[in-house]
Amino acid sequence: MSDDYLWDGSGKPDPEVEKLESVLGRLRLERPAPVFPAAEAMGAHSTRFSVRWLRPGMVAAFAVVLIAAGLGLLWRWQTDVASGWDVTSVTGVPRVGKQSVGSEGGRLGLGQALETDGNSSAEIRIEEIGKIQVDPDTRLRVLSSPSGGSRLALERGTIHARIWALPGIFVVDTPSARAVDLGCAYTLHVDDSGDGLIRTTMGWVGFKLGDREAFIPAGAACVTRAKNGPRTPYFEDAPEGLRTALTKMDLPTSTEDERNTALRTLLAESRPRDALTLWHLLSRVEEPKRGAVFDRLASLVPPPTGVTREGILRLDRGMLDRWWDALDLGNIWLWRHWERSWSEHEQGQK
Amino acid sequence: LNDSLPLDRQNVRGRSDADRFDDSALVRAARAGDRAAFGQLYDRYGRMVQGILLARVPLGEVDDLVQDVFLRALPRLHTLRELDRFGGWLATIARNCACDYHRNSVPEVELNADLAEKADRQLVAGRAPDPEAASILAVIRSLPEAYCETLLLRLVEGMTGPEIAARTGLTPGSVRVNLHRGMQLLRGKLVLTGSVTHENATTPDSLGKPNTLGEK
Repeated sequence: MSDDYLWDGSGKPDPEVEKLESVLGRLRLERPAPVFPAAEAMGAHSTRFSVRWLRPGMVAAFAVVLIAAGLGLLWRWQTDVASGWDVTSVTGVPRVGKQSVGSEGGRLGLGQALETDGNSSAEIRIEEIGKIQVDPDTRLRVLSSPSGGSRLALERGTIHARIWALPGIFVVDTPSARAVDLGCAYTLHVDDSGDGLIRTTMGWVGFKLGDREAFIPAGAACVTRAKNGPRTPYFEDAPEGLRTALTKMDLPTSTEDERNTALRTLLAESRPRDALTLWHLLSRVEEPKRGAVFDRLASLVPPPTGVTREGILRLDRGMLDRWWDALDLGNIWLWRHWERSWSEHEQGQK
Repeated sequence: LNDSLPLDRQNVRGRSDADRFDDSALVRAARAGDRAAFGQLYDRYGRMVQGILLARVPLGEVDDLVQDVFLRALPRLHTLRELDRFGGWLATIARNCACDYHRNSVPEVELNADLAEKADRQLVAGRAPDPEAASILAVIRSLPEAYCETLLLRLVEGMTGPEIAARTGLTPGSVRVNLHRGMQLLRGKLVLTGSVTHENATTPDSLGKPNTLGEK
């Protein structure tokens, strides 16, 4: 039966869909729009300002308020720098610089590092951002205060981040890539060589080093190599053969023949869900092999209208982005939006 | 505003779905402090937010959380850079709101599927005695997230595929795939539970069966 009725209600009605609509439609809430507070009252910028407010008394009062607000901001900035993020000990005695963090907790200031040994672990909590569990043998440094973009550097060890801020707010730098939270929860590990591994449990995470990007949705993982950036992400329930082949392809010691064999295995073993891996491979394999990856991915998730083989083979970013969106693993716009904001932010700091 | 035009006139003028659902002017007005405009956005996107929440939180909580989502969005409107992306942006806030709900309400205990279904049955019964709707809702919630959300937007909220795509920021192709595959899976599960019998029913295993290399 055609699915036109399911799609847009046109065509011959599907009796089962009609029945489901009828039964489930009863769950639809019909509450009218509440009375929302004015945007001005909620902090948005208002452009409505009238000169009638500019009476002498009002001007004086306004000046006092401005000075108080300025002092408040200065105090907040100094507090941020001086006191930073809340840290509590979970086990053992973590350290912030030379200071021990006891059961009563401590503060992690801008530029300072939190360090746990083999017997200690800690938790960092920022009310507006989220919660970070810090495992033993970890070193984590604050690169910006909570009010300044929430950026940390994981120098070694393991953290478990559960973030409830808007996507793109919480960023963790590692020696091999920058991890940008685009959703809810993930675990990030960095070993002593600077290599890393990220495993996402909720939402999705963007991983980036230079022009090399990787997107890791819930249930997936991705390895990073020091100074080389993220490798190819994969779902952790992917077939063993696919995962082995992926490792083989990423190994710098593999010969060309071994890589070709690994790619054939990977393509043959991939499931529709492994479109995640294939999409990333498009920009990671050499051009002569890209056609085979395209064909396999297209057989699993057809490219959306307007996305052509030729465009993908020349790595047209717009087409790659549209195909990514068709995988339904996360909206690429969030990532591009963050990239643009971050780029402007970094240029502004130079 | 364009959306005030009757649908047939909009089609005659050859406008795309994306154009038909473009609410940039409303978003701009709401951002400038126009409460009525924000109320109109609530009217247009409330069903989408409800559908997203319905896929993730108990039914009895959805009503209040819908308003929470809009109250979260309102003070952040000025951070939205591309006004035509309002729907996708709001959908993300709704999903985060659902995450927060679980984080704040059940920090230690995972709510298993049986308990969730039982709770939903009770909640639905409290609003309107409708065990049939609660049973089907529980089955839909057991589907993969992308299918679950899209099906709820279609079957509960009554949104069409093009509308779901335009409102959520997903591509029409992926919405169509989600609806098609989700419906196939749902039919299979409803057959198993005895709710329907259908020749197009399928099982998760048959949907997920990998194709061989080169197969189209």
